[in-house]
Order: sequence, then C-alpha cells, then structure tokens
Amino acid sequence: MFGLIKTWKALEAKGIMGINRRNADYVLKYNKRNLYPIVDDKIITKERAIAAGIDVPEMYGVIETEKDIEKLKDIVKDHADFVVKPAQGAGGDGILVIADRFEGRYRTVSGKIITHDEIEHQISNILTGLYSLGGHRDRALIEYRVTPDPIFKSISYEGVPDIRIIVLMGYPVMAMLRLPTRQSGGKANLHQGAIGVGVDLATGITLRGTWLNNKITKHPDTTNAVDGVQLPNWDGFMTLAAGCYELCGLGYIGVDMVLDEEKGPLILELNARPGLNIQIANDCGLTHRAHAVETRLEELKAKGIKETPEERVKFAQELFGHVPPHA
Amino acid sequence: MRALTLHLKVLIFLLVTLGIAITAYQIFILGIPVTEDETDDLWNIDAKVEFQANPREPVKLQMYVPPLNQEFVSLNESFISNNYGVSINRADGNRRVTWSARRASGNQTLYYRLVLTKRYSGEQTKATGPIFRDSLPVEGAEKIAAEALLSPIRQHSADVETFISEAIKRVNNVNDDNVRLLLGGDSATANKARVIDLLLSIAHVPMERVHTVRLLSDVAQTPELWLRSFNGDKWLYFNPETGEQGLPQDRLVWWTGDEPLVSLEGGRNPQVTFTLNSSEMNAIRLAKLTDANTDADFLEYSLYGLPLQTQQTYQIMIMIPIGVLVILILRNLGGLQTLGTFTPVLIALAFRETQIGFGIILFTVITALGLSLRSYLEHLKLQMLPRLSVVLTFVVVLIAIISLFSHKLGLERGLSVSLFPMVILTMTIERLSITWEERGGGHAFKVAVGTLIAASLSFMLMNIPELTYFIFTFPAVLLIMVGFMLAMGRYRGYRLTELFRFKAFLKD
Repeated sequence: MFGLIKTWKALEAKGIMGINRRNADYVLKYNKRNLYPIVDDKIITKERAIAAGIDVPEMYGVIETEKDIEKLKDIVKDHADFVVKPAQGAGGDGILVIADRFEGRYRTVSGKIITHDEIEHQISNILTGLYSLGGHRDRALIEYRVTPDPIFKSISYEGVPDIRIIVLMGYPVMAMLRLPTRQSGGKANLHQGAIGVGVDLATGITLRGTWLNNKITKHPDTTNAVDGVQLPNWDGFMTLAAGCYELCGLGYIGVDMVLDEEKGPLILELNARPGLNIQIANDCGLTHRAHAVETRLEELKAKGIKETPEERVKFAQELFGHVPPHA
Repeated sequence: MRALTLHLKVLIFLLVTLGIAITAYQIFILGIPVTEDETDDLWNIDAKVEFQANPREPVKLQMYVPPLNQEFVSLNESFISNNYGVSINRADGNRRVTWSARRASGNQTLYYRLVLTKRYSGEQTKATGPIFRDSLPVEGAEKIAAEALLSPIRQHSADVETFISEAIKRVNNVNDDNVRLLLGGDSATANKARVIDLLLSIAHVPMERVHTVRLLSDVAQTPELWLRSFNGDKWLYFNPETGEQGLPQDRLVWWTGDEPLVSLEGGRNPQVTFTLNSSEMNAIRLAKLTDANTDADFLEYSLYGLPLQTQQTYQIMIMIPIGVLVILILRNLGGLQTLGTFTPVLIALAFRETQIGFGIILFTVITALGLSLRSYLEHLKLQMLPRLSVVLTFVVVLIAIISLFSHKLGLERGLSVSLFPMVILTMTIERLSITWEERGGGHAFKVAVGTLIAASLSFMLMNIPELTYFIFTFPAVLLIMVGFMLAMGRYRGYRLTELFRFKAFLKD
C-alpha cells in the first residue's frame, strides 16, 4: 500500500498522464463529440485531407453494400498491391494488406495466399460492422499500399512502421515511431506487440523505445539499436501533424503518418483517443508538456494572436525538442 | 471550465445533501427502522368481562376502552360477544363500549381484544384541559385539617407541578394527624386520591383520575390509578402513592375520570380480568399494518406502496445502481478491464437466477464451448448474422442438455437457467469472440476474467439482504450515489493498474 502511494507520487511528479486525466482534461475538453465522425471514419478523414491539400494514400474505391462487393475486381484490376480497410475500424483490426498476385490468387504481406472469395468474405465482415466501433454497419475502403522507406529496414519486421504525433490544439507535443514486430503480426499497434520509439521533436532523431510497457533499446526481432536513427523529412511530418488541427477541429488527437518510398510523408489516420504508452517511449510525461501548451494558448488568446502550423511547430520544437541523449 | 467545476460541485453538494436529508428524515423523524431485523413489541391485550345476568331482564354493560389517542397505535381491535349488540361512543376523551342484549341468563363472558404497538403514531393532538376549578365542599374538622395541611404545602411549592407532588407526599405521610383524620383509617389508593383531590380543589388546582394498564406480560393486574393535572400546556401525571411525576412508558391510559371501569344493568358481579402478552414483529411489516390504522401514510409514497409483485421486481432493480457503482469503481479507480461497460452487471443479474458458484461454472463452460464453436464457424466464412444465430441456437441446445443431465443427476440447480441468463450468455460469447479476433486470445481471456470478477463482486454486493432492504426503504441513498458518480466523472488520478503499467518510469 505504502509502495503504491510512493509510485503514485513519483508518477505524478514526472507528469505522467493517466487514462482518467486524459479523458477528463483533454479528450472530453478539447474534442467535440460531433466532430468524432471525421476521425472515426477514415473515408471522411481522407476526403477532408484531400480537400485541404494534405497528402494521404490514394483511394482506389469504396464498397458500401454487399452488392458493391462485385465491383472489387474492377477496383483492384490495375493494382497489383492494395489495402482493404474498414472505414470505422479501431486499432488496425480488419485491415487486409495485399502485396502481390499469385496465379489468380492474392498474396498478403505475410506471404499467405488467399483467394478472391476470402477477400470478399472479409469485406462482407467489414460491412456488417464486425470491426467498427460499436458494431455499426460500415464501409470498406480500398487504397494505395504504402511502401515504407528503406530507412526502417534495419529496425522493423514486416509491415509498415508509422509515426504517431500527439497534437494538442495544433501544437505537436510528443512523437513516436511505431515499429511492427513478429509478435504484432506486422501491425503497428502497441497493444498488439509493436514497439514504440520516442522521437525528438526538434531533430527527428529516435530515442529509446517501449515494448509491452517496458523500456527497450533494441528491436526484439532484428536486435538493432532503435535509438539514434535520423528520420528523414522530419519537419514535413511535424507540419503535416500540426495542420491536422485545422483539418478536423479536434483539439487532442494522435496523428498517424507513414513515410512512403515515393510519396514521402502521408497521413494514415487520426485518433481522437490516442494511447498513453507514447510516454514510456519518450521517457517523459505528457501532462507538463500539455500544460505548457495550454499556458501558451492563454497568452496568445490574451494578445489575440493565432499561430500558423509552422509557428506552432517551431514553438513545440524549441520547448520540447533537443532531449539530451541517454548516457 | 472553472464555472463548470463550480456547477458540478454545487450539483454534487445538492444531491448528497438532499439524499442525506431525506434519509435522515425517514430514519429520525418517521422512525423507519434501519435494518430489516429490527423488531417491535406488539401487545395483545385481552379484557375479559364476566357477570351474572338477571333472568328475564335486558342486559346493558358499559365498559371503558382505551381512547387510542396516545403514543400507541392500535393495529386491531375486536369485540367478541355472542348475541350482544355492540356500540362505541366517545365522551370527554374516553371511549366506551356498550354491549346490550334483550335476553340473557346465567354466566356471561364478553371479550375485548386490542392489538397495539408503540411505533408510527401520527401527530399528537394538542392537549387541552381545565386550569381552574371550584373547591369541593368541606366542613368542620376536615376543613381545619385540610387547611392545616395546605399551608406547608404552599410554602414548599413553587408552581402547580411542585404543589401537587408536595400534596401527594403529605397525604402519604400517615403519621400526620391531619392526614389520618382526612383518610378516616382507609389508606387505599382510591381514598388517598380522594383526599388529594380535596386538597387540590381547595387550592383551585384541577385534578383528574387516570386509570392505566401496565404493559407487562402474563401478570394478573387491575387498572392502576394515576392522577393528572393540566398545567396550561400539557398534562402532568402523578403517582398518588409516591408523588412520582411522569407516566412511565409502559402505561396505557385506559380511561379517565371518577367512574368505575364497568357499569352494568340487568346483571350482577361484573368482573374484568386483563391478560396481556407481547409478541415481536418485523418492524417494517408492522409499519405497513399500522399504516392502515393511522393517518401516518408516509409509506404510501414509498416503494412499499407498490403491489407486492412489483415490489419484488423493484427490490432487484433498485440494486442495479449498486452493481453499476462497483463496475465504475473497478474500472475507473482499479483499471480492471471488463467486457463492455455494463455487461458485468447483467451477468450479475443472471447470477441471481443461477446462484454464484454454479453461475460461474456454467458461464465458463458454456462460454468456452460457445467460443470454440464460433472459431470453428470462422473457418466456414459465414456472415455475422447467420453465425450469431448458429451460436445462439447452440447455446440453447447446450443449456438444454446441461439442464437435462443435471436433472437426471438430481441437481436441481441446472434447471435454474432461464431466458434471461441465456440471452446474456449468447451476448457474452459474441462480444468475447469479437474481442478475441480484435485483440487476441490473451486479451480476451483477461477481459473475460475481469468480467467474471466484476460480475461476482457486484452480485455479492447486490445480494446483501441488509443492503437491499436499506436502499429499497431509503431510496434517497441513490442520490448520494449519483453524487459520488458525478464526482468520479472528474476523477483525474491514476488507475491502480496504471501504477504497474507505468512502472518502467521508476526504474532509473
């Protein structure tokens, strides 16, 4: 009991944000309920992003009804590789990534060969709402398959590593590189076993990481060190993330981005309830940073100034960046 | 944000205050018992009247019965008599029953039975009485003796109360010559009362005789004489033997005045015997009984005013918030992962029908079998609705089989699975399998165990009879709970599991 109180005090001193605080002070306060569909439905997010000129993976087609499933063949006929996603899926569930064709069948990224019927069954499942939040009817989205930049080859196992940046009122406050592992089955979700690696906001150089709530320094599959890697085009990522506030209007979001070999930084999806393990990855609490942004917002409000995404990125990088490397 | 916080605080304060106030009102003002086990004494008083009827003569017997305007409440009153007409009339704050018959002969026995209790009396009526009266006529030696007694009484008293007790004390001092003269050698209580009455009347202090019955089981007794006087505000009672003031709690006023208990025409030797016995009764049942006999109709607007069948349903329903509170605490404070938010409460409700031990086994077995069926169906690539239907049918068949077997084995428990638990079982299987697919087997297992723990805990809390009684009787407690839930809505601290989740931070 005494030990728990001590842990509590220590965590509080470090500014570690818990689920209750995240929900009460940030998600409920800054995220208006009526704006949720924008981030919960990937098709709407994509349409908004295209309208705002923000880069997203190209959309090949949308399947809305069982009848539409017939159109799948037409939609994918020009594309050897593609991704099938539920529009309202959560946590990367129900995503099917086709890497190649093989004698009239399809090969997934993990090398499994599946038939056209199996893809149709998967889409049918998506439509009945199996993967959607709350089990509502859903739409299936077929889109461009991102080819990760080779920079990640040494520290990633299959799948597509993505970059998650927490953005509070348009200010990036913390960033993390999410690397799939053998255990996560190529998915970049931490609760499925992917690694989270902290990223210095100013430089884009990776820090140490977290895996299953522990701190780590090496990738468990490749055993290469995860820290000290320079992410290319870092300022591009930061500006992209900061701009998402204007895109969706939600004040506290996690922006998931990928670095495509050819197309550069792309927005994958937005998350209105971003997880808290990013704190372990960065070895830093979110609360202090969030308070700093809130103070800044009040100062600006008093002066009547509104900052552009570039200015916000600059502020965040100066304040939160240049984390001293571990000894 | 700050205004909102204030708003919330005020709301919580209001709800909690209201809840406490209503509950306190119910407990302290209305006197509703806090636990179901609390019992009250129930008094059964039988007055048996025996007399010899004169042949060929109409009989009319009048007897005083308690006026029922005291702290006691009558639950039942009956007049048992063969061939007698019964009528009751009130006069001067007394009640009198009249038994009458045209013809009667030989030994006659009449019964008067009263069942009463102390609780749940309505508002006391304002007492009124005379505060002045004329002196009784007294002459010669007695007058001198009385006045000789009165002057020290006057000196030693300050008001009506002390005057009366002083007078009683003097009259009980039989060594005093004046007293001896006035008593005339008869030191019976009635005679003392007469002398006290005389003394008081000379001082113009009104006095009334009160005949009481003592609430004491299995002791033969005759009505006990007390004196009372009105001091302008309330009646003061005095024991004519000791001067002791105040009527003890166990005395029931039967009638007041100078007349005897029974008056009889057309008969002789009337005799009244009192038999008392007490029994205990569940306080709330008693309250319900009392309710019909008094104007204290507070229970009318409580949940006890509902028909019995509905009451039973509500006794279950009103415990749901308790279950919800348990889930809230386990999830938001403890960080326990459960299947959905309120599924555990539903499972807890299902446990009511199956009992907890058997319920846990049943749930585990059927959920495990259901899940394996579902994973088999997964291979067949069925759509969601048909697959759900198959699972549901399978669960029904499985439960039927379990019931059949347990019945053959003589375990009646197996038959307890009814519609409600079955629906919940199916739902649980479906949701668990979705969790399994989305988050993997480990997570699904964790969630299932969490759900069972939460369900068992809520079941245990929801089934404490004392708690059920308390909340059913004092539903305002729910307001206090809502206050707590509102406060939880702004809880920002860590969850217990987070202390372990973020342990990595402390490992430097």
